[in-house]
Amino acid sequence: MYQISDIRKGLKVEIDGAPYNVTEFQFVKPGKGQAFTRTKLKNLITGAVLERTFKINESLAPADVHSATMQYMYADGDGFNFMNLETFDQISISAAAIGDTSNWLVEQMEVEVMFYKDRPVNIDLPNFVELEITYCEPGMKGNTATGATKLATVSTGAQIAVPLFIEQGEWLKIDTRTGEYVERVKK
Amino acid sequence: MADPIGAIDPAGLRARAAVLRAVRRTLDDRGYLEVPTPALVPSPAMEEFLHPVSAGGGFLRTSPEFALKRVLAAGLGRIYEIGPCFRDRERGDWHGREFTMLEWYRVGASLPDLMDEVEGVVAAAAAAVGATVPAWRRVTVRDLFRDVLGIDLAEAAASDLSDHDEPWDDAFARRWVTDIEPSLTGAVFVTDWPASQAALARVRTDGDWPVAGRFEAYLHGVELANAFHELGDPAEQRRRFLSANAARVAAGEAPHPVDEALVDAVGRMPPTCGIAVGLDRLVAALCGWPGIGPGRVEPG
Repeated sequence: MYQISDIRKGLKVEIDGAPYNVTEFQFVKPGKGQAFTRTKLKNLITGAVLERTFKINESLAPADVHSATMQYMYADGDGFNFMNLETFDQISISAAAIGDTSNWLVEQMEVEVMFYKDRPVNIDLPNFVELEITYCEPGMKGNTATGATKLATVSTGAQIAVPLFIEQGEWLKIDTRTGEYVERVKK
Repeated sequence: MADPIGAIDPAGLRARAAVLRAVRRTLDDRGYLEVPTPALVPSPAMEEFLHPVSAGGGFLRTSPEFALKRVLAAGLGRIYEIGPCFRDRERGDWHGREFTMLEWYRVGASLPDLMDEVEGVVAAAAAAVGATVPAWRRVTVRDLFRDVLGIDLAEAAASDLSDHDEPWDDAFARRWVTDIEPSLTGAVFVTDWPASQAALARVRTDGDWPVAGRFEAYLHGVELANAFHELGDPAEQRRRFLSANAARVAAGEAPHPVDEALVDAVGRMPPTCGIAVGLDRLVAALCGWPGIGPGRVEPG
């Protein structure tokens, strides 16, 4: 068990039968009262954020989670398939569990797969991915006005907002955490 | 480990020094005498949730209150002290095990008098760092619970306040930190606390529920200060000491030595109001920092 006084960012705890990551915590001790810790917790499966206040002498169970580095292989009708590069074990993760993260998934990418009670529930991509533009309207030379964007489709099928001067066939660096364009890259 | 030199913020320390100068000047101008009292003491605190640091066969003080009350009993009517205090098990963005306390006491003052004075001191400190303070609001604890939660504290049982099975004061504190404190914006004096949380304050029983003669000052959601209409009954003072010790023992903690010199002083000092201000927090709240860090040099 974790004591509330030991709470730290990144701690994985079990609450109401679900695994949570501690994203924020704040020690508070009101007036003449007990000490508490206010926390923000992120559900590791659904991504939902929970705010909870714990008394300092309460405790929390550790969440039974672990992660493994795995390589993305291919998608099929059942979901997305990954291989553990050390054990060569292969697993399939449902599209529902992966969610929008699949927008940035490319074959042979190494990802962190998170297991809850030995069941894969989520994946963590590298922060940045480089993808080719498969379709966008022609670039407008000289138009570098700040903020103006157009939609571009990349090789995974995802669409992102890019500056007007970007051309089809170019490669982009994309932040997988926000889904935002970072810069052009030469290939 | 954070870099113990890089963690020092010169601009933060300048702001702190400016606030300290402004506070001293304001209190000096109002006729207060600065009185240093010992940091190493035989009895560190009365209240159950104060955990002292032991040192040299005694304790480091959690506040200068006990010693300053002896000074009041000795006949000085306007006194203040600014100095280090220590509270174990308190650590966070707004807490340090060691912190700087500003306390002042004024014989013959009422709590509203003291609120006026806090407004003056905070305004002077704000001017010293180029900050402005919103207009102060004065509100009772009971009205806050009514406005924010629709709960009347005078009627509420512990189970109305919390879904945990816990004593009334813990249930109250849980609601306070969860719902009420986050709703406090601007500059607010919160008055008329539950009598069970009187600590070293008098209890008033003239209304329809008993309240402590106590207020807390909040600035931008940060609890800055706690003020008491000081308890003046030595027998009641001893009773509260023993009751806090009984709670400590029940919680598996060591009792604190009863400070007999304090009990004696409480019976001999004139009617007084006093206030304890977290100086580190005052600086941080005025400067809009996310915690007390920039105004402090940490142990390293």
